[in-house]
Amino acid sequence: MKIPLTFVLNHQKTTFEIDPWQTLLEVLRNQGRKTSVHRSCEEGECGACTVLLNNKPVNSCLVLAASVQGASVMTSEGLVKNGRPHPLMKAFTDELGIQCGFCTPGMLMNAYALIQDAGDTVLTDAVIRKALEGNLCRCTGYINIVKSVMVAQKSKLAGEWW
Amino acid sequence: MPDTYGNNTMMTTRPANNFIGSRAMPELVYNAPETMQDLMDLISTHGPFAKIVAGCTDFIPSIRTGRWRFDPGLNLIDISKIKALNRIENKEDILKIGAGVTLTQILTSPVVRASCPVLTQAVEQMASLQVRNTATMGGNLCMASPAADTAPPLLVSDAWVLIQDAQGSTSVPVVDFFTGPGQSILTPGQVLTHICIPKIKAKESAGFRKIGTRTAVIISIVSAAVKIRMDGDLCETARIAFGSVAPTPVRVAAAEQFLAGKPLEKRVIEKCAGMAADEISPITDLRASAVYRKDVAETLVKRCIMDCLEALT
Amino acid sequence: MKKREERLILGKGQYADDLEFNNMAHLVFVGSPHAHAKIVSIDITRALALPGVVTVVTGKEVAAHTRHLPVQANFTSKGWTWRLAEIYAISSDKVRWYGEPVAAVVAETEEIARQAAELVSVRYDLLPLAGDLRTALNPGAPKVYEDWEDNKQVHLVFDFGDPDKAFAMADQVLSVTNREGRVTGLPIEPRGCVGVYDTKNDTLEMWGSFQTPFLARHNISATLGIPEAKVKINAVDIGGAFGLKIHAWKENVVALASKLTGRPVKWMEPHRDFVTTGPHQRDVFWDGKIAFKNDGTLLGLKATVFHDLGVESTNKGIAALSIFPACSSPTNMYKWVGMHVEGIGTVTNKSFYCAYRGYGKDKGIKFIEGAINQVAKQLNMTPEAIRMKNFIQPHEFPYHQINNYVLDSGDYPAVLNKAMEMADLDGFRKHKKELADQGRYLGIGLVTAIEPAGVAVPNCQMGGITEARVLITPDGSVEVHSDRTEIGQGTEISHATIVADILGMDPAHIHVKRVTSDFIGQGPLSSRGAVYPASAVAKAARLLREKVVKCAAWLLKISQDQVVLEKGFIYPADAPEKKISYAQFAEKVFFFPGPRGLDPEMLKAHDHLLDVTTTWYSPTTPESGSSYTSFCVSADIAAVEVDIDTGVTQIIKYVHVHDAGTIINSQVVDGQIHGGIIQGIGEALYEGLNYDESGLLQNTSFSNYLIPTSVEAPDIEIAHLETPSPFSETGSKGMGEAPIIGSKAVILDAIEDALTPFGIRVNDSPATPEKVRSWIRQATGQGR
Repeated sequence: MKIPLTFVLNHQKTTFEIDPWQTLLEVLRNQGRKTSVHRSCEEGECGACTVLLNNKPVNSCLVLAASVQGASVMTSEGLVKNGRPHPLMKAFTDELGIQCGFCTPGMLMNAYALIQDAGDTVLTDAVIRKALEGNLCRCTGYINIVKSVMVAQKSKLAGEWW
Repeated sequence: MPDTYGNNTMMTTRPANNFIGSRAMPELVYNAPETMQDLMDLISTHGPFAKIVAGCTDFIPSIRTGRWRFDPGLNLIDISKIKALNRIENKEDILKIGAGVTLTQILTSPVVRASCPVLTQAVEQMASLQVRNTATMGGNLCMASPAADTAPPLLVSDAWVLIQDAQGSTSVPVVDFFTGPGQSILTPGQVLTHICIPKIKAKESAGFRKIGTRTAVIISIVSAAVKIRMDGDLCETARIAFGSVAPTPVRVAAAEQFLAGKPLEKRVIEKCAGMAADEISPITDLRASAVYRKDVAETLVKRCIMDCLEALT
Repeated sequence: MKKREERLILGKGQYADDLEFNNMAHLVFVGSPHAHAKIVSIDITRALALPGVVTVVTGKEVAAHTRHLPVQANFTSKGWTWRLAEIYAISSDKVRWYGEPVAAVVAETEEIARQAAELVSVRYDLLPLAGDLRTALNPGAPKVYEDWEDNKQVHLVFDFGDPDKAFAMADQVLSVTNREGRVTGLPIEPRGCVGVYDTKNDTLEMWGSFQTPFLARHNISATLGIPEAKVKINAVDIGGAFGLKIHAWKENVVALASKLTGRPVKWMEPHRDFVTTGPHQRDVFWDGKIAFKNDGTLLGLKATVFHDLGVESTNKGIAALSIFPACSSPTNMYKWVGMHVEGIGTVTNKSFYCAYRGYGKDKGIKFIEGAINQVAKQLNMTPEAIRMKNFIQPHEFPYHQINNYVLDSGDYPAVLNKAMEMADLDGFRKHKKELADQGRYLGIGLVTAIEPAGVAVPNCQMGGITEARVLITPDGSVEVHSDRTEIGQGTEISHATIVADILGMDPAHIHVKRVTSDFIGQGPLSSRGAVYPASAVAKAARLLREKVVKCAAWLLKISQDQVVLEKGFIYPADAPEKKISYAQFAEKVFFFPGPRGLDPEMLKAHDHLLDVTTTWYSPTTPESGSSYTSFCVSADIAAVEVDIDTGVTQIIKYVHVHDAGTIINSQVVDGQIHGGIIQGIGEALYEGLNYDESGLLQNTSFSNYLIPTSVEAPDIEIAHLETPSPFSETGSKGMGEAPIIGSKAVILDAIEDALTPFGIRVNDSPATPEKVRSWIRQATGQGR
């Protein structure tokens, strides 16, 4: 039996008809057409489906969609403003913190939360690496990803951020 | 069959016959009570035909892998919306932690860091940020995994859990909670509601260490926690606990008693660590052999005691 | 410049799982829970009865409607043992490995298909197991393929140079062994595709994570018995491949399901399927002797390398083919007198073996580098000294190696010297001594390697074929087509850079097109992207440039040598103000080329058609018998600390110096290096596929097949030397696989160095904490 689900998706109040067994990942991809949320392991191991749930990174494959009633959910599409890439996205492009691109959207959401939460504290290599431990990447060796996050935080501290 | 929070007769035990990479979720009815009263009402309505979950970080993988199977029509009760279970209460002598408190709440809580730092240490090394943001203390205990990293710190802290059922609330020491791999004393109709941890006192110190094949996001090959209470230069009492070396998280009584009344010098620490390793009979599994587990358990105990001493000075 | 990256980062990727078609059905495979069993019966009635199930395909349908999977590499003509099995995409009589598909359920939704997959009821009769190489080679072992004499699939024998002379000249001979555990490449995205069979036209079109669409078309067409001309394969955005998405196999079943149902059928592989029924690699054991002189001169090798191939590859012969480079690669970058190398491949009841970054050329190098470090120890030489003594020297290129490789270019001593300087090797050795006094165990590893890149082998689908097309459209933008799919290795950036440079255009106006089977070629494999496709693209762009110059000279009424192409404009060298844009130029050439526009002779010669399709073939391979065109050079130095009480290894420092010839884009090259090194580290320390005694794979997910996370991955210091390859169009060399070779070897070497006080030889990977600790316990006689 379908149930209605209302939550804030990328800053907009949204309602979907869902099956109670659906995961947030499935609802975001299938009903919400947010295909940046990538599906791989479906067991919370790879981080490719990371989204922000009430500003915190979660594996959307491990969240029952029904449980986000009234919550706020953000996918990487939500970072884009008027078609313009978010400064974090620009940093990932400039530093080539991306190769195949499959882990990237999840990585972006985790990195976004990290930078948001860090405030004025400058993120170190070790802190970034610890924060991203749940986002597996097989292409980049993480080095340019860490660099991208550092560059992005500089943008934020310079006031170029939203 | 493992259980999250009791109540699982809907779960069938037919063996997984086919290899299927990822299995379908069962048809279910989703219930999210917001008060304890609503929760207990739901439990009494659905009785054993319900499954209680909080973070779902074990529930969903267990279904995807075929480890758990449910018949269609499962009543799922999500306790994560019950505010009373989502709090860390700073009482006079104890921390009262709701079963729905997430690992991130534990990790970022200054109160926990001050009053039970060994739990903070353990949680820091558990899972990934994403999982810690949804996985709960109650869930980690109720899964009753021998490898649950929150268990050794709770065991050495002499923590107890509160279990609610229609008759009321009872308290059970964590050491008596686990009964086997994936099994606890919870019976259908019961819910684990809180974990109560005595605060660490002056002259007390505790430490946690784990070892895995990889550093990050790894299930422990062995985890160990030690808590000592000093009386001058002598150890007054000690608690030593392991994860992943027995069907349940365990304490090692002989090694604990050996430390009591002794100065914590190198020779004593080494003897104690050896005794601790002698007391366990781990198994060989995918993650490691019994031999390596015993071997490394000894090293971890040694290092935990050293950590305790360092923290005290 | 980074159009693709920007698009993907904006969330506009189009990966296999994002594909949607009207009326699309979903396919889920049902796998065997046993490693070796007869299929007694399959009952699909319960599955079919589930509402929403469209059909269930079993081995019976596959046998009725398709052919055996086609042979992709066959060397029986050489007189070697080279057995091939006749297998279908789904077996109907017996299963040979855990997870092997026995049925595929097609349903309205993936969820229903998964539910129905549980309801397919299969009765099995268990068979005894050939679960590992040793068991499989035993006389009387259970046979994986009944009609074979035994389980030995391949036995190759190579004599390079004069091995007997080498051993006769030797002062000393050292025995060396090495074992590499079974691993898998494991991109984060599994395989997936949609098959659309058009029942009106009897054509098939597929979209998906195809690393090599042209090869996929050939093999899918052959399997389904549809003319290739009626099949088209489209690569969509691919979430990593590393070789694992080269060949089509389950994709055949998806195509068949579409044909049988008349509907688009989508299959997105669950990640556990990808590990369990995906291509595996390594799993080799080397047993050899190395001959050398007392002054450190290397002379020869006699060795056998045993491969545990798993079941006959669904890529029919391609797994066996990887034994070639394994046997050839031990020559690495040194001078030798002779080698005798035998390669044995055995089938076992495990998942099949196929391409993964390295594909055999890694194995010989890792083995010989370990062996050379043993020789150095034996002779009290440093690892750098013995290499310096035996390196092929810069003036000797092109160098005809004893194994027929024609080494193109390089300065091997310079690469090693640079690495030593960056690593402060002497300083680190001193530091190591100091820490040893405190009871800490530091180790330094040093490994040098070349990477044979750009494969071209006869008798197989890796013949070295490639096609590129570059055209200017009437609005002055440029299309670039080739067989090189983008798998995250920078195809678009590289090709856009090459073409923009040649045509004097802004890379933003160069559009690198998605790869389809319309373009001939092996695609990106064996690090051939920067060799074959890039060369073909460069060649096409140069031919196109000639046409542009000819047309422009006529239009501008100047001589051809006066035509300048720069920043998107065309102008006379002495009159830049008369510039015209490429758009103006192209429009004129395309639409107004008549007598008043261009020279009629040019029209007859097709010089006005701003569209060049060409191919490129290596100048070295045909005549020399060299299977590879370019050989990039690398030196890796790593420092580790081993916790001897737990066996945990920590990487303290990592230096990598690389010479991949001319660099087209250094960010892309660095990215390949980073990724490859971390994969190699994963193989060295954590990654291992373990089968239990029943033949069931134990590590089927990211939680137990452990790849490095951001926490374990060290920072890497990189330096580049650029010695152009004389054999590629751009001077570039293939380099995608080099980093995984050196990194795995260097970490193991560093651990061995750290454990020197215990006299432990580290020749078994992965060197997990448990394994390292067990070596130490053994060496110290500890034990409880």
